[in-house]
Amino acid sequence: MAYSRHARESLRNVCRAHEGVVVRQSGRIALLEETEFGAFQALRLREKHGDDIQVERTEPFNEFAAVRSAVREAARVYEDRDTPAVPYERFAAGEELPDPESMRDAEL
Amino acid sequence: MSDPVRCRVGDTVRCGRALVVSVPVDPAALARAVRGERNSDARVAVVADEPGPAHEHVGCIRPAMGLRTQTALAAAARSRGIETRHDAALAGAREKLAALESPNETGTDPTDTGTADERAQYREAAAAAATETERLRETVAAARGRLQARREQGLDPTPAAEELAAAVERLSEAETEAAAARQRLDIVRERTRESRDAREQRFRLEERVANLERQARARRREQVHEEYLAALEVVPGVGDVAESSGDNVTDSREMEPVVQALAVARIAELSAPVVLACERFESVETAANWLDTAVIRLTSPL
Repeated sequence: MAYSRHARESLRNVCRAHEGVVVRQSGRIALLEETEFGAFQALRLREKHGDDIQVERTEPFNEFAAVRSAVREAARVYEDRDTPAVPYERFAAGEELPDPESMRDAEL
Repeated sequence: MSDPVRCRVGDTVRCGRALVVSVPVDPAALARAVRGERNSDARVAVVADEPGPAHEHVGCIRPAMGLRTQTALAAAARSRGIETRHDAALAGAREKLAALESPNETGTDPTDTGTADERAQYREAAAAAATETERLRETVAAARGRLQARREQGLDPTPAAEELAAAVERLSEAETEAAAARQRLDIVRERTRESRDAREQRFRLEERVANLERQARARRREQVHEEYLAALEVVPGVGDVAESSGDNVTDSREMEPVVQALAVARIAELSAPVVLACERFESVETAANWLDTAVIRLTSPL
């Protein structure tokens, strides 16, 4: 992720020059292949722009490993609701659903 | 010049280019009938030429109407066949998008890599296998502890050793299964990435089409803007107001929707009759001449 115009420009150049290493790119964010070459490009950018380039390693999300079933169930029934305008907090109140506060406090 | 219009409301039939309908009727229903759209009033039927793209915006003009002027102006320009330098690119982008959306292109839908449910099952299986492996690792550790304890106490280690061996074997099987589940998940992920590439491409095309459409609309509006302002000035009743208020520079955007709609209708190629439910013209013939299109005037709009 780029935090300056110059860094963004470099990121775009890298993406243009090495399409094969880019999984996704949008604006000032790019997702690079999980290869040494991908890491090399990320490191190059950081070398050049210092803190104006942020490098994070992403990981596929597996909800069955990461969250309790109540959270998965809550997402399912909330998106299946009949009343679109109801916020989750009100939707969950009085039901057997996890309340938003407890979810906010629970780290993955 | 358009063919004569034939308009029926219940038992009343009118025919010509400048019609007056005195039967109480909803102007919007009549306008929908002009466009051949499904309409709520079964008494109403209109035979007329195919309406141009501006008709849905200014095909029905009445006092309390709303008008998205910018959109209507772009449609008016389009109705006259005004072209812009974006048109070719736009047609190209639309074509590509259509090709991408037609599943016949490759025989298979590139976005179809098993359903989301199936992918969830793979994730669930991988998570379950990992949990089971973890549990068995603890079982093995406990069995190892028991064996150690029996040895230290000088007791017969055989049962504990057998127990440990069995636990180690179960763990080994579970680890194999977990690795396989992980691998299956990886393969599915890899395939999903390809389908995401296709989605990404489609999304970018949609964005491009939307951008070009916006630009083309803006260019079209620009090309009729002067004419539109000129038309506004000659809408019946407008000049008098400006003169009496002594204010000769009236912001066109602050004019009543009816006035704006009449001006748009005047510069548009409507091809089909406009339904008028406003009192701006001396006669329906004047209105038809001023708008240069067929007019159906309602004297008792609902």
